[in-house]
Amino acid sequence: MNRNNTSDYLGHLVFVLAILLGVPAALGFDGFELNTFARYLSLAIVAAALALSWGTAGILNLGQAATFGIGAYVMAMHLKLVASAGNPDGLPDFMGWNNVTSLPWFWQPFQSLGATLALGLALPALMAWAMGIFMFRARITGVFVAIITLAFLVALQLWFIEEQRFTGGQNGLTGLAPLDLFGWQVDTYSLGFYYLVAGCLIAALALGTLILRSKVGLVLRAIREDSQRVRYFGYDVAGYETFVFSTSAAIAGWAGMLYALVLEFASPTYIGVAFSLAIVIWVAVGGRESLVGAAVGAILVNLAEGRLSDLFVESWLLILGVGFILFVLFLPRGLYGLLRQGFDRLARLRMRAAGRDVKPQESAR
Amino acid sequence: MNLMQIHNLTVQFGGLRAVNGLSLEVRKGELLCLLGPNGAGKSTTLDLICGKTRATSGQIVFDGQDITGLKEYKRARCGIGRKFQVPSVFKDLTVLENIELARSPRPGILDALRVFRTPIRGRVREVLQIVGLIDLVDLRAGNLSHGQTQWLEIAMLLAQDSKLILMDEPTAGMTIQETLQTAAIFNALKGDHTIIVVEHDMQFVRQVAERVIVMNQGSLLAEGSIAEIEADPRVKAVYLGH
Repeated sequence: MNRNNTSDYLGHLVFVLAILLGVPAALGFDGFELNTFARYLSLAIVAAALALSWGTAGILNLGQAATFGIGAYVMAMHLKLVASAGNPDGLPDFMGWNNVTSLPWFWQPFQSLGATLALGLALPALMAWAMGIFMFRARITGVFVAIITLAFLVALQLWFIEEQRFTGGQNGLTGLAPLDLFGWQVDTYSLGFYYLVAGCLIAALALGTLILRSKVGLVLRAIREDSQRVRYFGYDVAGYETFVFSTSAAIAGWAGMLYALVLEFASPTYIGVAFSLAIVIWVAVGGRESLVGAAVGAILVNLAEGRLSDLFVESWLLILGVGFILFVLFLPRGLYGLLRQGFDRLARLRMRAAGRDVKPQESAR
Repeated sequence: MNLMQIHNLTVQFGGLRAVNGLSLEVRKGELLCLLGPNGAGKSTTLDLICGKTRATSGQIVFDGQDITGLKEYKRARCGIGRKFQVPSVFKDLTVLENIELARSPRPGILDALRVFRTPIRGRVREVLQIVGLIDLVDLRAGNLSHGQTQWLEIAMLLAQDSKLILMDEPTAGMTIQETLQTAAIFNALKGDHTIIVVEHDMQFVRQVAERVIVMNQGSLLAEGSIAEIEADPRVKAVYLGH
């Protein structure tokens, strides 16, 4: 669909090389250091997921953390069951404290790793699909989508905290076993784990980019501009919106599963408003028009948070906040927009220079 | 042979009946002009046909199928295309992307996931040549002139290849030259396509119309050739207010 994408391809290549070689080399291929970066990369996946629906189709999902959190809980439930294998009836400890006597039916599937991995993608996608059908068939757009998704997020978090017997409540799920991935005991402080997360990030970005480069991407960009007009060409706008909303949710669930692995617990803060809004900020900083841009935004903001909180223990939040305001005011299209503008100006300069070369020749003739 | 039949179509907005018991037939391959004073219900009739507005009562049968209750995108898939009064191309997309979007023989998601680029050949090339935008394919549509924007929209309708094309004031804001070119395109189109045009420019109507329907207060007032219509005393009365 897009034809002037040489600079985009170049950017993707640089990003992949940086993730696969640059970062590990800079951190001395040290598993402990890389664990922190693996956390950033899993957050980069959820940022890309948001950019997929927000940047392309204009669907601002303020509840992206809900799908992310569900992915995290799914993974944590599996690991909790593995850790509780020695308990009577294989019951997780917190259930015993809450007088639950047998494992509830909806915990059963998470005994199996295969079902866990599948559900970590499918549950968020299904949830988004159900919401999407309800919202997009009713032609709800713009700020109303943002309000509905935000309200849903708040309700879901309250429910997770309330149902302490089944979810661990405010404490979340802790004391997890390490993941046994088809015979590979995953050590989250190893180079191998870093490459697992990096591979997932690159795969998610590739999948999203493929969707956006297909005609679906074109239809979604058209929907962002004028959804009503798109209908008169025979496209089922609600169907397209639901598709991208669910795909984005599945990718966010994927990110959540990795995040639970990195941090080795799942907490209701993952389903929180603060976290959900943070994702929006990362995407705005990186540039919502590009999935890779959004991923870079997530990595940079989290890096900055880490460094600033070391340097300015008292005032780092203030500094970060001022930074965000400046970004939104002066770079509304984010870092990607800045690069894009630079490339466009360069191309125009080159064209003008070429034009000047031609003219003297003509006059000489 | 009839492509579309409208029976007793009515739509009510609050206390106002914008279209009131309208019945008409549209023949395959003809170019039908809808005339009438402001507020006669011409644009609303087009809205009812393409699904933008839902009828309060009555029936629309298109190509043997009752489409009265269908959603817009399903009507488009049946072969109904619409051009709006305000030029509505996608300004953020390039000229070619606009055409690619309009050219939608298989508009389902699973089909669209497998399409990565539409080559400029066949019908796409032809359409771009007809409207003279073939050298501007990579230009953002937002950077086109007003006339070019109108052309792009007509090209999109051609690329969509609808059986029935609904045009709401296609020559609005065009220069005389552009209006003449548009008339030529319309004359080339009829036969293969069926066209319904709402238009105020009588010069243009005289050049293209085969059959004219005059509406007044939501109902059909007169029907016939342009000469018959211009001689009709009832038409003169509604236009001149006598």
